[in-house]
Amino acid sequence: MTSDTPTDHELLTAAAGGDAAAFEVFVVRHRGAVYRYVHSLTKNVTDAEDVLQQTFLAAWRAAADARVEHGARPFLFTIARHALHRLHRSHMLITEDAVSLEELGSRAGFAAPHVTAERLAQAVEERAILAAAIEDLPPLEREVLQMRDLDGLSGDQVAAALGIGLEAMKSRLHRARLRLIAEVRRRVPTEDCL
Amino acid sequence: MNTPQENGGLRCGEVLADLSAYCDGELSGSRRAAIEAHVRACPDCARFGGAFAATLRALREQLSAPADVPADVAARLAAALRRSRTG
Ligand SMILES: [Zn+2]
Repeated sequence: MTSDTPTDHELLTAAAGGDAAAFEVFVVRHRGAVYRYVHSLTKNVTDAEDVLQQTFLAAWRAAADARVEHGARPFLFTIARHALHRLHRSHMLITEDAVSLEELGSRAGFAAPHVTAERLAQAVEERAILAAAIEDLPPLEREVLQMRDLDGLSGDQVAAALGIGLEAMKSRLHRARLRLIAEVRRRVPTEDCL
Repeated sequence: MNTPQENGGLRCGEVLADLSAYCDGELSGSRRAAIEAHVRACPDCARFGGAFAATLRALREQLSAPADVPADVAARLAAALRRSRTG
């Protein structure tokens, strides 16, 4: 390591040479994000911990071949995603639904004059409502929202981690955001129909 | 709801489809200007666009705080890595 804050690439290069301390720094840097991603999809702490361990064990073994030019998160999320698929095959293979964008928009309150923006804005300010709404998204949409909007990965990074094209990622993300608003709206106790 | 209309040369459905790209700063200058012209003239899109942007802000502000794993999870992860190196 050459500086106070080594890059992920430097840490993994050192790890590939057997430097366990360097890998430990790498683990501490990223374990929270990996755990949160995995937990959002398993909704189960035992499975989440299992996948977390599998992910970093695999990352240690693959350190020499890791391609982290786009940051370590896509590398780690890709490994975690494969482990999740093995564990939760039935959940994760749910295909994307065929609801039209217009229908999603309408569920989210698009062109519905009786849903005030203030009301929705109040609802999304409540952490519990937002968190519950995320929980109820279909897995593929929860996953893309988690990576892009919560972990702040770039569009390219998310597409790489998901193994899909950029345009497909953007389309999935947009649907996820609309469905999230629909889920928030469902949780607003009463809508005034003025 | 207003009758289907074109404001800024766009229909409401086109604005709906582009909201993510707009908020993510991915639109060209002219497309962006057309959306903004539409929204100025269309209360429905103004309202919904505001709610959409507020939701993205709330996601980032409330839920994106970096969280570490629980201490016991961290300890077991470190132990698993040690075992893999020595075992
Ligand atoms: Zn409109």
